[in-house]
Amino acid sequence: MAEEQQSGGPADSPGRRIWDTGHWGPTVPDEHEAVKAVREQFPDAFVDAVNFRDEMTIRVERPALRDVVAYLRDERSLQYNLLSDLTAVDMLRLRDNPRFDVVIQLYSIPRRQRLRVKAAFNDGDPVPSMVPLFEGANWLEREAYDMFGIVFEGHPDLRRMLLPDDWDEGHPLRKDYPLRGYREYVQPGFENPAPRVRSRFRRP
Amino acid sequence: MSLEISQGTPVEISEERALGGSQRQMVLNMGPQHPSTHGVLRVILTMEGETIVECDPVLGYLHRGVEKLGETHRYSQFVPWTDRTDYVAAPSNNLGYILAVEKLCGIEAPERATYWRMIMGELARLASHLVWLGTHALDIGALSMSLYCFRERESILDIFETFCGARLTTNMMEMGGFSREVPEKLPQMVRDFCNMFPEKQAEYEALLSANPIWLSRTRGVGVIEPEAAISMSLTGACLRGSGINYDIRKATPYLYYDRMDFEVPLGTRGDVYDRYLVRMEEMRQSISIIEQCLEQMPTDGPLSLSESPYVIPPHDSVMKTAEDMQRHFIWVIKGFSPPKGEVYQAIEHSKGELGYYVVSDGTPIPYRVRLRTPDFVNLQALPYMAKGAALADVVALIGTIDIVLGSVDR
Repeated sequence: MAEEQQSGGPADSPGRRIWDTGHWGPTVPDEHEAVKAVREQFPDAFVDAVNFRDEMTIRVERPALRDVVAYLRDERSLQYNLLSDLTAVDMLRLRDNPRFDVVIQLYSIPRRQRLRVKAAFNDGDPVPSMVPLFEGANWLEREAYDMFGIVFEGHPDLRRMLLPDDWDEGHPLRKDYPLRGYREYVQPGFENPAPRVRSRFRRP
Repeated sequence: MSLEISQGTPVEISEERALGGSQRQMVLNMGPQHPSTHGVLRVILTMEGETIVECDPVLGYLHRGVEKLGETHRYSQFVPWTDRTDYVAAPSNNLGYILAVEKLCGIEAPERATYWRMIMGELARLASHLVWLGTHALDIGALSMSLYCFRERESILDIFETFCGARLTTNMMEMGGFSREVPEKLPQMVRDFCNMFPEKQAEYEALLSANPIWLSRTRGVGVIEPEAAISMSLTGACLRGSGINYDIRKATPYLYYDRMDFEVPLGTRGDVYDRYLVRMEEMRQSISIIEQCLEQMPTDGPLSLSESPYVIPPHDSVMKTAEDMQRHFIWVIKGFSPPKGEVYQAIEHSKGELGYYVVSDGTPIPYRVRLRTPDFVNLQALPYMAKGAALADVVALIGTIDIVLGSVDR
């Protein structure tokens, strides 16, 4: 989606823009320390860096995802030590290939800066798990597995999170999953509902 | 070894029959319907006597697929759904989502509306903390706390009702500000509440802070080490109770929090009692922020960005001018289309970092709405804290995380 993204766009309201607070570091990718460091350290895995609304997104190759995040966490000058969020996006309607994006929002408590790391992959590709780096990724990855069917390699306990354990009808946040599910669910005790009676107040 | 039963029949118990190893463990199911789980949370506890060996929370009893619904509704239609995630602090949820969509569209609400947003967000924090304090104390055994806390929460709900007509699911925030004028009596209501609340809070603290029963149930219970707290991605009072200074209002300010003078309370030991103290101090700081907002707020000025294509036109001009009526029609029927892109907006919710990750594909319906709810992530600390704790402490541990299951399960 990088080439389709607009570069921020003009603000409708004059004066200070509410998002323009420098929480994501420099807006030009070439000036951003994390982008420069990742590009230098992982020349093969680095895909590109996109800035939208002053938010910096680094896109990397899937196999190197854990190494990149570990580097961002441990490097003394970066210290992205808090995993804010881990989720996925099904890009089915936006591009042909690869289908999914895994999106990691990092935050650096000492440097007060955010960063987003993304990796694209196809259905069935194993994504390196972040649990060895951040324990907090445990449930977030379980949820991503539950909702998208993403297999995280190295996750200690990859089970369904929010849906029942015996749910056998796929992963509901995929774009090809119908909103109302694949079949109707009948509440126990209501298998044979009483026929609808026409109200006497309604016109015949 | 022999045992005398009252009838006098001797019963032989051989050494082999005494339970050993994993056989000594018992699996105890707590919930899903349990008064202390604050909703429908199920916790599977593996016990060895009174001690918890393993704790496995089972979620999803309140899962409604809010994220999937977000992908099928227009941007403005999703605001009421955010109320239903964390329903004890609905304005904060509205605020996070609206800020994310406004960032996506590239608009900013006028100054007076932003101040009112801050006031409502802080009142929501107070309401949420009052519910937390009441139920947390109720779980541990202080029954009367819940009566006092809900009494003060009532005044906050009255303020919400005067402001927007609803008490719990407020659906309060709108794109670009507020479409209705603030009721005349509202500033005085908020001021009265700010004057009344500190002495009520002193009553709570007189009841709890030095209460020997409260201290013995909370001191040294559920200790979270600072490194573990960061590793588990905890936010809010769970993180600050362990002494990590991360409050989004200070660290990466949104709205006008950079103009406010307030302090971030930090704990030292990271136990249940420290988190209690942190939240009590947060309530005091919230009152101070509300007072500063009322002081700094311009007395008049627009409440809404009425000219922007992303904002619903004001009701008066819709009734009077043809252009605004057309704009209103199109806004309601077709919605608005933000530019293509993605934003992540995090706000300091009463429970921690509430993040909305919104992806737009340029249509009036969001491509992806992700709710990073604080209590879902914070609940991961429950197995960590429960390991080695006593069964009776589990209710204190669930209470100290401050969860609302509507927000955990989404």
